[in-house]
Amino acid sequence: MFVYEKKLQYPVRIKNPNPAMAKFIITQYGGPDGELSASLRYLSQRYSMPYPELKAVLTDIGVEELGHLEMIGTIVHQLTRNMTIEQVKEAGFQEYFVDHTAGVYAQAAAGWPFNAASFAVKGDVIADLTEDMGAEQKARATYDNILRMADDPDVIDVIRFLREREVVHFQRFGEAMELATSQMDKRNVYAVNPAFDKPARK
Amino acid sequence: MTNNNTCTYRQGALPSCAPLAVPMVAPQQSSQPAYESAEALAKGTLFPGLDLPFMDYVATGAAENTPLAELMALDFVLQELALYLDTHPDDTEAFKTWKSFVSLAEKGRKRYVELYGPVMRQDTVNCNSWVWPEDPWPWDNSGKAGKN
Repeated sequence: MFVYEKKLQYPVRIKNPNPAMAKFIITQYGGPDGELSASLRYLSQRYSMPYPELKAVLTDIGVEELGHLEMIGTIVHQLTRNMTIEQVKEAGFQEYFVDHTAGVYAQAAAGWPFNAASFAVKGDVIADLTEDMGAEQKARATYDNILRMADDPDVIDVIRFLREREVVHFQRFGEAMELATSQMDKRNVYAVNPAFDKPARK
Repeated sequence: MTNNNTCTYRQGALPSCAPLAVPMVAPQQSSQPAYESAEALAKGTLFPGLDLPFMDYVATGAAENTPLAELMALDFVLQELALYLDTHPDDTEAFKTWKSFVSLAEKGRKRYVELYGPVMRQDTVNCNSWVWPEDPWPWDNSGKAGKN
């Protein structure tokens, strides 16, 4: 069950429309390393995860990612509300505009609609946690790239916050990996997949 | 790899006999040191050791001083402590800190709701009518002090 809080995790207050920036920031909404991908990855991996602490990590980080999805949606909304047709044309925003006007749609920067192929649920403890660590790094690198291109301090401040969250999540997934492997066969952690083969615990 | 006195909280401690072919991140050893709540929110982490910004993109100061920012900061500390506790369930000190922030955040939430309206639907319990749909919603950025 989920309960909604009518507030963002971190304030987003963008004063000026800037569709040129919305064009690439949208990728963290529906792109391959975006927040939708992140939340679905972690929330879906929970079901086959055999260890209680790891169910908690996947749940608590997955839910936070939904909050980040809302922040990215807010950024794109505030960058595109009140924009004029002249600004749409100047920014080269026509391709998005013709399909979505000033709506927020889950797509990658290059225009591909959101695709579940951008994340994995392997049902294998070490494979899934390794994917999660990689996912946090890819999202962090995407935010680095956004910071290189963004030129509005209102946007930069929020992106900087979201990027730092990826660093923290990477640390927690790293610790989750240690928690998981410490409960496996120490001589060979690959002897079985505790998410499928029983008994799970040593 | 062995621990030595040159290790700081930024480096963490590593096990002396590390297994091959297992991804490994140095586990955080303690929930201290920690930023105070407004600074933690501004930086995006409660923990100085995890505060690893890109180039010179660093927080330009503590978040603003509004009831909403205060509530966000307290809830943010709760989120950071929850993630820490998920991977450190036996850290009794951190759990004590968690409990004290839960009660701070409850007070902050009450104060905010009295001033600006519901954060959650149940917060309408003391309202005279169903004010839940009222603007601003979080993405609106109304510019009103304290709200959004």
